[in-house]
Amino acid sequence: MKIRIILLFTLCAGLACAQENAVYRDMDLPVEQYEPHVRGDMTLSKTYPYWKDRNKLDWRLAGNPEENWKLNWKFMDPPFNNTVHGGHFALDRGESLYKSLNRDGRFAACLGATSGRLKGLRTRYPMYRKDLRRVAGLEAVIEHCASAQGEVLQHGSYDNSAVSLYLASLSQGMPMRIDVSKGPMREAFERGRQLFHTKAGRLNFACSSCHTRNVGQLVRGSHITTPYGDVAHYPVYRTQYRLQSLHLRMMECNLDAGVQPLMPGSQSYTDLEVFLSALSNGYTVSVPAERN
Amino acid sequence: MRSIGVAAWAFCLAMPGLAAGLPEDAALDRSADIKTLVPRVVVNSGRLEWEPHKRDLSAWPTLSHLDRRATIRPQQAAYSAPLNGDAARGRAIAMDPARGNCIACHTLPGEDWPGSVGHLLLGYKRQGHADAYVYQQIYDRRVLNPNTVMPPFGAFGVLSDQDIRDLVAYVQSLD
Repeated sequence: MKIRIILLFTLCAGLACAQENAVYRDMDLPVEQYEPHVRGDMTLSKTYPYWKDRNKLDWRLAGNPEENWKLNWKFMDPPFNNTVHGGHFALDRGESLYKSLNRDGRFAACLGATSGRLKGLRTRYPMYRKDLRRVAGLEAVIEHCASAQGEVLQHGSYDNSAVSLYLASLSQGMPMRIDVSKGPMREAFERGRQLFHTKAGRLNFACSSCHTRNVGQLVRGSHITTPYGDVAHYPVYRTQYRLQSLHLRMMECNLDAGVQPLMPGSQSYTDLEVFLSALSNGYTVSVPAERN
Repeated sequence: MRSIGVAAWAFCLAMPGLAAGLPEDAALDRSADIKTLVPRVVVNSGRLEWEPHKRDLSAWPTLSHLDRRATIRPQQAAYSAPLNGDAARGRAIAMDPARGNCIACHTLPGEDWPGSVGHLLLGYKRQGHADAYVYQQIYDRRVLNPNTVMPPFGAFGVLSDQDIRDLVAYVQSLD
């Protein structure tokens, strides 16, 4: 009898929890297959040929406000954009911060430098970090490694993004190459892909509502761009918002779409970072870039 | 053993209560009236500063994996004639970014910077839709098209019954 009661309770508990796991969420369907390479844009916005090579952008497109979206805003990246802007000051700040953090070489080792070399490091993030037992983006790792030395470099803060920008500059011109073919990275990519199609907030929008279904269409006079090839210029200098990391950009996306934002470094944003970074695989890092 | 079973059961029963709450990884000030926080980047600082957003967004589901709140299901509107809508008020709601913001996605007469995601609403009156149908479109278009991109303004409590009546009067006046 006693055992039966226990069984009954356990069963009920199981049912109550199972019900909780099946929470109804609107999805933007179908959840598309995305190629984890920048060329996947050829089946989405098909604008890739216009911005494939930043060295050969068509200045006539760049100068035409009706057409410039087809360049995926790459005319605000170097080398086309050769103006001095706030991103350059952040880069200088990042270099001096890095050097003071790395006096004994521990910081570089913690970031994942191979024999002290940081070249190409940016192109491999986000990655699965065995020591952290999770997938982490570069800014999350900068925060972690600074904290190991007693320094506070919060994810999304100016100084964190400045260091990230400096590290990115050491991979200038190198293509992004994160591996999402197996293990925790594959799982993160898949969660990110699902999140990209999950509707949220007071207006019930998913990222894909605009950036997959309506690329090239107008929202309040602005053309919607492709999610492909959009990560290799981060952290970015926003002409109205100062230096901005990718997770802070996601917070702004959320706020603009009426969705309660999450904290920088949250699991969901990291999954989206993996997803979006994979969609930039094969596209070259170019910093410091601007966006309006 | 039995107490563990009871505890597990009680915990799971309490889950909907927890689920009604907010995910831990959301950017919130839980004690404030406007809970939603916006990050502010401070030059040459390792810390972010936070300020309240212009609107509280914490009541709707987020993208957090920890968020156990469901999307509000598609809802049939309880519309009753007569319409009693004011077209001028409707137009103001359609152009206001903080309210209807229809102009963000739709093209409407007499306004710059329209959108092209939604249907062209120029001459909408000539399409001859019933008021009840137009009301449902704005209230919750998911009932008519499960995969629509249009926000369910009524079902999500973004616009009031009178707001929607005014919008119906407005779009039904476009010739």
